[in-house]
Amino acid sequence: MLKKENPLIYLNNAATSWPKPPGVIQAVQESLELPFGGGRGTGKAQRDYLTEGRETVAQFFGEESPDTIVFSSNATDALNTLIHGFTASSPEKFHVITTTLEHNSVLRPLHHLEKKGRIELDHISFSNAKVNPEAIIEAVTDKTRLVVMNHGSNVLGSVQDIRAVGEYLHDKDIFFIVDGSQTAGHIPLDLSAIEFDAFVFTGHKALFGMPGIGGFCIRNPDPVLPVRMGGTGTDSGSLDQPGGLPERYEIGTHNYPGIASLIAGITFLQSIGMDALQRRADRQTELFIKELSSEPGITIYNPDPELPIIAFNIPGLDNDDVGYILARKDNIVVRTGLHCAPLLHKEIDDGAGCVRISPSWFTTDEECRIAADAIKEIAHHAYSQI
Amino acid sequence: MRILRSNRHKYCADGSFMKEFILDTEVTPEFLDFIKHYGSLEMLPGLGEGFYKFEKSDCFSIKGFLNESSFEVRFKKEVMDFTSDFLYSMLYCYQDGKPDFNTLNRRNEALMKRVRTRLHGNKS
Repeated sequence: MLKKENPLIYLNNAATSWPKPPGVIQAVQESLELPFGGGRGTGKAQRDYLTEGRETVAQFFGEESPDTIVFSSNATDALNTLIHGFTASSPEKFHVITTTLEHNSVLRPLHHLEKKGRIELDHISFSNAKVNPEAIIEAVTDKTRLVVMNHGSNVLGSVQDIRAVGEYLHDKDIFFIVDGSQTAGHIPLDLSAIEFDAFVFTGHKALFGMPGIGGFCIRNPDPVLPVRMGGTGTDSGSLDQPGGLPERYEIGTHNYPGIASLIAGITFLQSIGMDALQRRADRQTELFIKELSSEPGITIYNPDPELPIIAFNIPGLDNDDVGYILARKDNIVVRTGLHCAPLLHKEIDDGAGCVRISPSWFTTDEECRIAADAIKEIAHHAYSQI
Repeated sequence: MRILRSNRHKYCADGSFMKEFILDTEVTPEFLDFIKHYGSLEMLPGLGEGFYKFEKSDCFSIKGFLNESSFEVRFKKEVMDFTSDFLYSMLYCYQDGKPDFNTLNRRNEALMKRVRTRLHGNKS
């Protein structure tokens, strides 16, 4: 008998968080009820979401100036703006360093530029889910002008030592882009203590905003040319794209509901406190690791994650089959496949992909136990067939 | 047996094309006994009412649960134009619990000839 009547257990928060806090949904509704905020016509009826959003993000990330915060559609959009904008300012071919832990949001733009002959690209490998900062430093040549790496792995849940990399690159003429998609909202961030040139975030994951909002913090925009031009509502008499922040990169009508959701999501996180969030995430991650480790038919790829992400396979079963069985039999949502990180998977599972579990603040311990039992049951049956 | 509708279409990481099909009746052990003549069948009988996976090499795979009136199919993209027809034939040749091996054997032979030609040229 299929257990379709079971309540949904959502363990795919590393992709997009669900459910959203009630305040987020309310904030989106309110933003749509208010008159459009552009121009002066709506006067006091409007709310300045842009200023409030920049201030909220900057304060939450420990970044001194809200003026460095630029909004985008998502992290992929932000990374494309930064990578292509940086390349556009460089007339000559240059050397770029990235890692095999990256998401396709980094890998594909860089691969495209490599194929076009605009860059030389090196991928630094990892060991025990971590990229050794020394390996990046050793890969730097006199032609290196850009390093792009993630802060947290979306498959292995490891947090990279961006501080060490940033400190080294700071004194060189090397632009440093950090993809913080998986860490923003999961761990306390104090960007003021880290040397980087651009830090990318997305709103719809651990920051609990809605899909369609993300952005980046950029300290030195000069080497990143705008690659898209259009209306900004400022300096409209000029046909040139304004050069200042944020107009240099923010074009067209803003995603006000998205920014409202981001403000509400961050406000929700602040109301709980990052310590409490981390404690629950650590407890639930440990619960999964302990439970799944006890079943001989399960291979865990990250036995010691720092983020609430667990990656595993059940030998003898395709990872997609495991996801299918969990969804159809137990109403449990996980993510299977390559998680848009093909180079990482080549290193851990020969490119076959795996199953990823990612709980959130709204996941209960009981749900974790039910999910762990369901996974163990599948493994037990698969194991007994071998 | 026949397909009522399909939904949840997507391209998978391995390049195959996935479709979920809603059927007019439940998948029974007898139906699986029928289709296993045309590919390989794996089962995990202890899970729910039984998870099954049918693989027709070079063509498509089907996964689902016994006694459910839906299943998920992954078509190999290069030959999907032939193989989706065969999937419909496979269901059509199992009416009211009665398998029609003669018709499906004929169609299977024709299908595999076309698939081999498409995937491997004229080499046998």
